Amino acid sequence: MDPSSTTGRVLEIQRMSTEDGPGLRTTVFFKGCSLSCSWCHNPESISPHPQIHWIDSRCIACKTCLDMCAKVALSLAPEGIRIDRSLCDGCGACVDACPSTALELLGRQWRTADLVHEVLKDRVYFEKSGGGVTVSGGEPTLQSGFVSDFIKQIRAQGIHTALDTCGSCSHKALDKLLPHATLVLFDIKEIDTNKHRAFTGSNNRIILENLIHVSRYIKTHLYPEGLWIRTPLVPDATATIQNISGIGSWIAEHLEGQIKRWELCSFNNLCRDKYTRLGLTWQFQDKSLLNEDHINSLLTAAKTTGIDPDIVHWTGAARLDGRREA
Amino acid sequence: MNGSLAEKIEHKIKVPRKLSPRISWLRDYYFQGCKRNWNNEYTAWSTGTPWDVLYQEMTYYIVPEVYMLIDTLGGGYQQAARNIDIHSDFWTWSLPERKAWFLKEVMVNHVPQEILPGDLIAGARFNIITSTCFTKKESAAYNQRVTGKNGARTKMKWFHDHGYGNAGATSGHLIPGYERVLKVGWKGIYESLKTSFNQLDLRDQKGRKGSQLKAMITAATLPRDLAKQYAHLCTCLATEEADPERSAELSRMAGNLKKVPWKPARTFWEAIQSLWLTHMLIMSDENYPGPGVSFGRIDQYLLPYWEYSRDQGMDWEFAKEILKCFWFHCNTAYDAMIRNGNQGITAGFGQLLTLSGMGKNGIDMTNELTYMFLEVIDEMTPILEPKPNIRLHRNTPDELLDKVIDMISDSQGSPFLINFDERSMAGMMLEARKANITHLINASNVHEYAPVGCLENTMVGNDRSGTVDINLNLLKAVELTLTGGRDMIPFVDPMKGKPEKIRQDGPSTGDSKTFETFETFFKAYEEQTAYIIQKSVETYEASEAVRADFLPTPYLSCLVKGCQEKGLDVTQGGAEINFVTLEAVTYATTVDSLLAVKYLVFDQQICSMSELIQALRDNWQGHEKLQAMAINRAPKYGQDDDIADALAKQVMDLWCRETWRHKTRSTQRRFRPGMLSWNYWAGDGYVMAASANGRTKGQFLSNAICPSSGADIKGPTSNTNSVGKVLGGKTSDGGGGWRDYLNCLPNGASHTITFNPSIIKDPEHKQKFKAFIKGYAENGGTALQINMLDPEMLKDAQKNPGDYRHLLVRITGYNAYFTTVGKELQDEVIERVSHCRF
Repeated sequence: MDPSSTTGRVLEIQRMSTEDGPGLRTTVFFKGCSLSCSWCHNPESISPHPQIHWIDSRCIACKTCLDMCAKVALSLAPEGIRIDRSLCDGCGACVDACPSTALELLGRQWRTADLVHEVLKDRVYFEKSGGGVTVSGGEPTLQSGFVSDFIKQIRAQGIHTALDTCGSCSHKALDKLLPHATLVLFDIKEIDTNKHRAFTGSNNRIILENLIHVSRYIKTHLYPEGLWIRTPLVPDATATIQNISGIGSWIAEHLEGQIKRWELCSFNNLCRDKYTRLGLTWQFQDKSLLNEDHINSLLTAAKTTGIDPDIVHWTGAARLDGRREA
Repeated sequence: MNGSLAEKIEHKIKVPRKLSPRISWLRDYYFQGCKRNWNNEYTAWSTGTPWDVLYQEMTYYIVPEVYMLIDTLGGGYQQAARNIDIHSDFWTWSLPERKAWFLKEVMVNHVPQEILPGDLIAGARFNIITSTCFTKKESAAYNQRVTGKNGARTKMKWFHDHGYGNAGATSGHLIPGYERVLKVGWKGIYESLKTSFNQLDLRDQKGRKGSQLKAMITAATLPRDLAKQYAHLCTCLATEEADPERSAELSRMAGNLKKVPWKPARTFWEAIQSLWLTHMLIMSDENYPGPGVSFGRIDQYLLPYWEYSRDQGMDWEFAKEILKCFWFHCNTAYDAMIRNGNQGITAGFGQLLTLSGMGKNGIDMTNELTYMFLEVIDEMTPILEPKPNIRLHRNTPDELLDKVIDMISDSQGSPFLINFDERSMAGMMLEARKANITHLINASNVHEYAPVGCLENTMVGNDRSGTVDINLNLLKAVELTLTGGRDMIPFVDPMKGKPEKIRQDGPSTGDSKTFETFETFFKAYEEQTAYIIQKSVETYEASEAVRADFLPTPYLSCLVKGCQEKGLDVTQGGAEINFVTLEAVTYATTVDSLLAVKYLVFDQQICSMSELIQALRDNWQGHEKLQAMAINRAPKYGQDDDIADALAKQVMDLWCRETWRHKTRSTQRRFRPGMLSWNYWAGDGYVMAASANGRTKGQFLSNAICPSSGADIKGPTSNTNSVGKVLGGKTSDGGGGWRDYLNCLPNGASHTITFNPSIIKDPEHKQKFKAFIKGYAENGGTALQINMLDPEMLKDAQKNPGDYRHLLVRITGYNAYFTTVGKELQDEVIERVSHCRF
């Protein structure tokens, strides 16, 4: 991605988000991620390229789309519209023609000015709640040029900005964004290097180094003001006492007193259909949600790692709102 | 969140709590419904003349469900009526004098007086159907103008059958001068009326003015004489009562009734007693149970009485006990037609009370009583009446907001409607300017406003603004634009099955198939809008004029400032402030239909106008692809889309402008705009032809100022922003209605948002929700109904209605028991919930 790009590829804009930082927020999900976590709840956010998906329940079977595709990537199968991913280049011609919006284009180019205008619509709610704008993904640091310019303009308006990152990026990308972020939400998913690689496809060394870099940056700069850690609790993956204790101890050792909040985010299965729509199989397809005892034991583990136990928060995955669900 | 894992949101229904045995008994007894030995169902009373008219059908012209029953009901009451021996001079009196005497005679000497077990408030039966007291000549003239050829009924039926909506001069919907009764007593009102009468010259005394004042003087003695009867009853019961504690209560009640409502109240108990008796007699006078006869700012005007009693040692809980008895009585309004169903034919009542709100110079008026009322609401919920409304504003204290949020969290949806002061007051200031009544509404008193019925803003004690009298489907103008002024589909008489011939009803605005630009289309739409508003004004005039000539309510007139001064009944425009409100229905459907015409025919050229019209005539059958385009691809109001909302604003400004132009001929009341849809958006969906936004005939129309069902895909903030924008938003040029706020709908606009319960799942989220409410006060509309439902619970309630008997849902500020509303409306509620994505 061109770092000086004046457009950014946005997957979704979610208004009145209550989960991505303090207060009421508008969260901009950027497309493209540097990790590919096996449990990912937003599989459509991983590829940096535009993608098409088809929503069964909306389709009126008018077949308009079949004639629209120059690449002949669409066909009508017994189960509905089939998209040949090897042929589809995400041009969106079928999406533009679809009367019922059963076909959707995932990832649209936004110009900075338009995106700023869009998120400022909720300014008053930000002000009343101490909220603001969160850039998330995918991985926003992959579009650091655009995102940096975007959050710079937002904060120039006196609005709180939060950078939600997986940490798998270059120092350079981070350094572009940090001056304009009021808060950093930083993921530590797995403390064990090997497991991390197995789960996400990448080593966690660079992530932890980046986290230390961010923490040092915060100490010596006016912005960002704060740092939160987020850890997904994924059954049979990250949701182990060992991992949570390990992360907690690491935080206690390396980020002493600097973390305002550590959120343990429970696995949810609301994204199941997304995998089907993208023609992917999900290895967590049949996993059920974490039970209460399990979560409690993880919370206890988190709180007894030498960190301030008050910073540990849990966010439920079984809530009914299907957050980030397209 | 810390600690607790509210992973699964339990489907719990709010239950009443902390009720004393007395209140539990009264409440449970109420819910026994038809099984009760005692009830407050209508009794009918006639002068006994063969030409007597008992049923005031025009009051029900805005209730299409009863159109088929009008003759049956009227005949039934006639048949069931008991005759009253009338005064020997009766027929020498004027009509208002006859009415006043008759009402008093019925209520004091014929309707039984009873005290329910444990009850602390007297005034049980009040639902009556009384004679119109017509002479033979009056009866003939009345019938001619109501049921005769081209009479009010025919006009009203035509208006509804052809999809315009409904219109009729309706009772209630005002805040009577209750505060004055508490302060000066009916004696004070009586004496003041006498003075006014005596000040008239002899000719006026014998004329209309004199008759009206004499009728009001008679009416003013009704509460005195009725209270005397009840006082006597309480004394007798006290003597017979074995339980000394109860006996003492009854003696206290007798003491109260010997004093109030005739004399000024001093204690809290006296004030509530005075208020209730005064209030219930309005429903008797108007022959209608609880029709938006509202209490106004009850926590404000009752405060001195509470403070006095508190200082005299009254217990907080006992004060609540009195209020809870008051609650019970308000609900007995529903007994009127109890045999027709659980709560009568409709949940369309609305004795609204208002809490908190702004005072002079923007200060907050929350007080002890505000919290007392909230406790009572909390402990009595779920229950239908009285309907609470909380006024919030920029300076509302966090303590009150926290309480509000907690109560919303504890109920299924908020147990009250929230009114937003700044936006509301901007509208009231606008109507003052429009009608040249800035001496009655201005910056120094506008904060005294209060809502009636559901959420309709009015001033207090001097204002009758006919807030539900006209309900117009704006969408009709789009239909007429497409067809050049003719109905899209013929009206078919449901009894005869015969289609009516389609005529040229609206102006000929040309063949829309030849329109080359959307601007041309919109010009024609403007003309058709002017026509449908003109038509609604004419339709309304028929019943307004008949009411003014034949159906005085002298008792109510005593409680509305202006009537005494002008010597005019409230039905004749006696009130100082006198609007008729034109409530627009189908707003979002109308806007979305225009947006769809623009998108499909002009901008994208997906179809020709003639194809679109054919699709609508075919009710979209065989045009599914085009329909899908209309539903999914065309822009929609309610998504904070600046371009779509700009057209929405144009539609808003147009119909408001046309509405302000009109006045009633018979009573000189100016029309003002508002948006409330009660249940018409559901029912009229079956009357109106398919619409260009993709809606088929039979699907619901949009509700009040809410976006179309399913269009609210960007969440509550975008929904809110759109609503605020079309009302006028804010201005920085100093030309705001109230401070920087603008509001083109003085009546206010009903706005419902259904939230996912996760928004209030823990303290941190509650704070976020509170911030949303504060944001709403800045960006949103005049009134917000917050629903907090989840679809699974509602689906379960659909399947097992027996288990959800008390499950309350609110529609347009109305609460109704979910299991008692129709399947279609249930489905609609479920669909709305399911579409919320945030």
